[in-house]
Amino acid sequence: MADVNLTIDGKKVTAPAGTLLIEAAKSAGIEVPSFCYYPNLSLQGACRMCLVKIEKMPKLQTACTTVISEGMMVTTDSDEVRQARKGMIELLLGNHPLDCPVCDAGGECELQDMTFSYGAAESRFIDVKNHRDEQQWSPVVYFDRPRCILCYRCVRVCGEGMDVWALGVQHRGVSSTIVPNQEDHLECEECGMCIDICPVGALTSGAYRYKTRPWEMKHVGTTCTHCADGCKTTLGVRRCSTGTELVRGDNRDKSGINGDFLCIKGRYGFDFAHHEDRLHQPLIRRNGRLTPCTWEEAFQLTGERLRQIRDREGGDAIAVIGSTRTTNEENYLLQKFARTVLGTNHIDHHRTADYPALVAALAGHPKLTASMRELFEAPAMLLIGNDPTRQHPLLAWQIRNNVRLHRARLYLVNAQPIKLRRQASSFFAIPAGREAEVAAFLAGQDSAVAAIASETSPEAWIRWRDQLRREPKLVVMFGSEIRGDAVASLIKFAADLPEAKLICLGDYANSRGAADMGLYPDLLPGYHPVTEVGEFHKDWGGVPEKPGLSLRQMAEHAQAGKLKALYVVGANPVEELGLDPFVFSQSFVVVEDLFLTETAAIADVVLPAANAYEKSGTFTNTCGDLQLVKKAGEVTGTKSDFEIIVRIADAMGVAVRKLVPFGRGSRADMGQSRGAQSGEADRHSVWLEARGLEPKMSPFDPMAILDEIQRLVPGYDVSRLHLLAGMDQHTSLSGSGPGTKHDPSAIMPARDDLFSSGTLGRYCRTLNAVLENGHKLAAEEEVAAE
Amino acid sequence: MRFSEPFEQRFQEMASHYPTRRSLLVPTLLYAQDEVGFLSDEVVAEIARRVELTELEVRNVISYYSMLTTQPRGKYNVQVCTNIACLLMGGEEILDRCRLKLGIREKETTPDGLFSLEEVECMGACCWAPAVQVNYDFHEHLTPQKMDQILDQYTKKGTERRR
Amino acid sequence: MVSAGIGWALATSVVRYTSCKMSFLKGIAAIAKGMSITFREMFQPTQVENYPDGPGPLRGAKFQERYRGVHVLQRDENGLEKCVACFLCAAACPANCIYIEAAENTSAHRVSGAERYARVYNIDYNRCIFCAYCVEACPTDAITHGHGFEIAAFNATNLIFRKEQLLAAKPGHLGANAVFNQVEVAGGAALPVPGS
Repeated sequence: MADVNLTIDGKKVTAPAGTLLIEAAKSAGIEVPSFCYYPNLSLQGACRMCLVKIEKMPKLQTACTTVISEGMMVTTDSDEVRQARKGMIELLLGNHPLDCPVCDAGGECELQDMTFSYGAAESRFIDVKNHRDEQQWSPVVYFDRPRCILCYRCVRVCGEGMDVWALGVQHRGVSSTIVPNQEDHLECEECGMCIDICPVGALTSGAYRYKTRPWEMKHVGTTCTHCADGCKTTLGVRRCSTGTELVRGDNRDKSGINGDFLCIKGRYGFDFAHHEDRLHQPLIRRNGRLTPCTWEEAFQLTGERLRQIRDREGGDAIAVIGSTRTTNEENYLLQKFARTVLGTNHIDHHRTADYPALVAALAGHPKLTASMRELFEAPAMLLIGNDPTRQHPLLAWQIRNNVRLHRARLYLVNAQPIKLRRQASSFFAIPAGREAEVAAFLAGQDSAVAAIASETSPEAWIRWRDQLRREPKLVVMFGSEIRGDAVASLIKFAADLPEAKLICLGDYANSRGAADMGLYPDLLPGYHPVTEVGEFHKDWGGVPEKPGLSLRQMAEHAQAGKLKALYVVGANPVEELGLDPFVFSQSFVVVEDLFLTETAAIADVVLPAANAYEKSGTFTNTCGDLQLVKKAGEVTGTKSDFEIIVRIADAMGVAVRKLVPFGRGSRADMGQSRGAQSGEADRHSVWLEARGLEPKMSPFDPMAILDEIQRLVPGYDVSRLHLLAGMDQHTSLSGSGPGTKHDPSAIMPARDDLFSSGTLGRYCRTLNAVLENGHKLAAEEEVAAE
Repeated sequence: MRFSEPFEQRFQEMASHYPTRRSLLVPTLLYAQDEVGFLSDEVVAEIARRVELTELEVRNVISYYSMLTTQPRGKYNVQVCTNIACLLMGGEEILDRCRLKLGIREKETTPDGLFSLEEVECMGACCWAPAVQVNYDFHEHLTPQKMDQILDQYTKKGTERRR
Repeated sequence: MVSAGIGWALATSVVRYTSCKMSFLKGIAAIAKGMSITFREMFQPTQVENYPDGPGPLRGAKFQERYRGVHVLQRDENGLEKCVACFLCAAACPANCIYIEAAENTSAHRVSGAERYARVYNIDYNRCIFCAYCVEACPTDAITHGHGFEIAAFNATNLIFRKEQLLAAKPGHLGANAVFNQVEVAGGAALPVPGS
């Protein structure tokens, strides 16, 4: 759009036509205060805080609703303007209780800040304030009506942003009030966006309520450990009598790929860290019972047994199951440990999407993957299968807001009437399980239309495909329904389009990372087949070349008595994949986990691990965006999986330096601590990295293995500086190995919903509270109906 | 939930007038209230479905307009204006008279369900103040005595019909 | 310097004594005058504090009202704690010696007048510099400086005072009808408060 020139406070500003004055001022570094205005939400013009003086206009104008025009002369700070704003605050404070000392928003309240800057703390009103009792709308949302300043941000973000429309405004004028959709409670996705967006303390979080104050916490920006979207979540950490405590999660650092957004899991799903069932010391099975022991004993026993089995029976008798929630460094280290130390290719993880097929099909079509940011800008989107609203909340947010703000076209094909169809420009229902035929049809196989055209005529399907083919820029998203050959068909279709990019949807925080790091029996990191003699063989000094066993085959192997040892890192295959626990009765089972899960219950050694919020490393989200995971909290008695693997290797008598190439920094800088003290980016480590001083002095430092990953895994050679500064970077799959075709039945979707998150979700108090509340309300309704 | 035939006809006709479904909301609510007497939960649900809004949004609008109600009213809704013109000409006295005569306060309904009383803002009948509106009928230049007569007439009308 | 000055003064007086015999009587008069002040003061009441052998709970110690001793967490007229755990004292503290954990009041367990109260309130007297910034910061006048000063300890860990040690006694006029926690009512007397 054409640029417009204007003057704001004597500064010459140029901005595209159609820009709002408040945004133009912001771009010039001039802050115009506002309560009701919020970027990317519809305009309200309710709070009158953004009043500015525009020359030749008789009265003050609201900067949030005024569109800039050529030659405009604006004054944002004069006595007149200040007086007007001060008057507005005085009115807002007319009925706002002055209970800042007990209010959760105290210290980060926009009204408080404004009152300070405009000095309207003294009121001329002498009337008694109109008090209303606080209401609890759901386990996580509390509403304190007198504190509300009626900016309607919550109503708009819930409706426009989340497409839930659970909040409304009733009555009018001074008696207006925010109301939930079910008279006295909320029936919604419990995302907590309304709480986060509230400029005052009217909406407060049930989980964080009255726990601490904002300045008492250290804020650590890390990556969420739940679904595969990789939202950045800023954890508030506070010292407590038992060490450190994670008090809240939010998105105050809006720099992440998620911008404003967080779902219930990112916002409240950290409390598993302090669950009472958390393991705090290693357990060894003695006389058939798991009994506590010291870390030394546990490492000694594990190392010795694994060495014995390897030396006597060979690597073929050992299998390893990796995790989809551990960091890339840990996954890489685990498979390197399995392949070079244990000498086995029997390594696998809970597969939730067919990434190897994607890589295989992408060969020859580089740069065909989209990042989460690109999705928001795409003019057209195609989604086959999956229900992002429930399984990929951020993806759904990006899609919704792309449609709303950029008028993007959304094409949906699904067996279920998923909620996103409300944004779709076309929605085609298909019979369940026919997603592969859709892919084949798109690839040009017209005969496939018979299988999918149940509700829509074949002609409509063909018209639809023609329309898609004309899309200049299309992002194609597909869930785990599309596997194997169907992926190849889809890529064949995409490759013929002018510009198309793909997103393959996995289910867990680091599902993509686990695949990229080679947690496959037949694939090395970067999707190189084990049979192919290449970099890794050279670098690691030999890799067993025979492809190993998949998860199911491991169980069969164990049943046949051929599996002598099983090493499980952060996975619960017994529960989630339905493996029979008794088949492992003859094997020596080592399990690293946070809790005594169904799998840990059958183990001979259980090692209490740290979760993703208690260690550093990187995660790759389902689009392939690499992000930093930063240590926020600490729980006594646990160790990170990285350290545990290294310690086991050490107990086996391996030269650890070969496994983790540590101690290569040019100069050690031990005087200063790692980890951000305040602010978001870890400036100290950025500074060190920029000067090549990163110490990597310890074999437990994941950054040492990140060097190797960046050197050897294609696509991961991104800027380390950007990574440490907390930015996301897309790892394209170009340059990867040839990938492979796996048995499609090996993929088991997680089937997680908004309020569940695999085994981890069972230990989240807030998620459970929301679920229980839902059951309770449903039961009450049933009783009422009867 | 079923509405009468004229309502349905009117609804169909209106639907063609507006560019979006939600624009139908306010007139539909008014017609539905005239027909049912008040906007019950059932009516709200049905209208929300018809205009493609959530029930919450429909309730928000109902709560905004004072002439829309979710509570049952009497057969005759007596609306007394007490804005400036009527006030000067004795609107308050008319209101007091109604209270006394009907034995109820504002926003209440007589036990026989015949009358409900409401104090309203300007109805645009300032020239003929003080004015009272009963349902859609205006009564102007009132005195307490006249008001009594009017109420009696309505009582008669209401009880006759019932018989 | 001073001793040299005295020496010079003595020398001149000796010269005077020898030179004039009448000055002898003058000398006696001067001594008598000086001693009269001494004798008069001997019968006045003692101005020196007799701590720690004096009477009363303070054992002879006396304070100005403004003296800043061990903190006291005050109660309101209903006997509820005034502290609402707003953390402003901890934020104002230059020595970072105040540690608080907040919790929510419930109707069954009401500790303070507002929505929340301090479940844990510790002051580390190893670090406290008695600057009274916390007192100044407190929006509810909950924390004040008392007159407690006997806080020497053999073990530094004993210098971390808990809320129970800092809380003011319940107001004397409140009987069993006062709004207290059931537990506290059942428990009887308030905990001893150091220094008050």
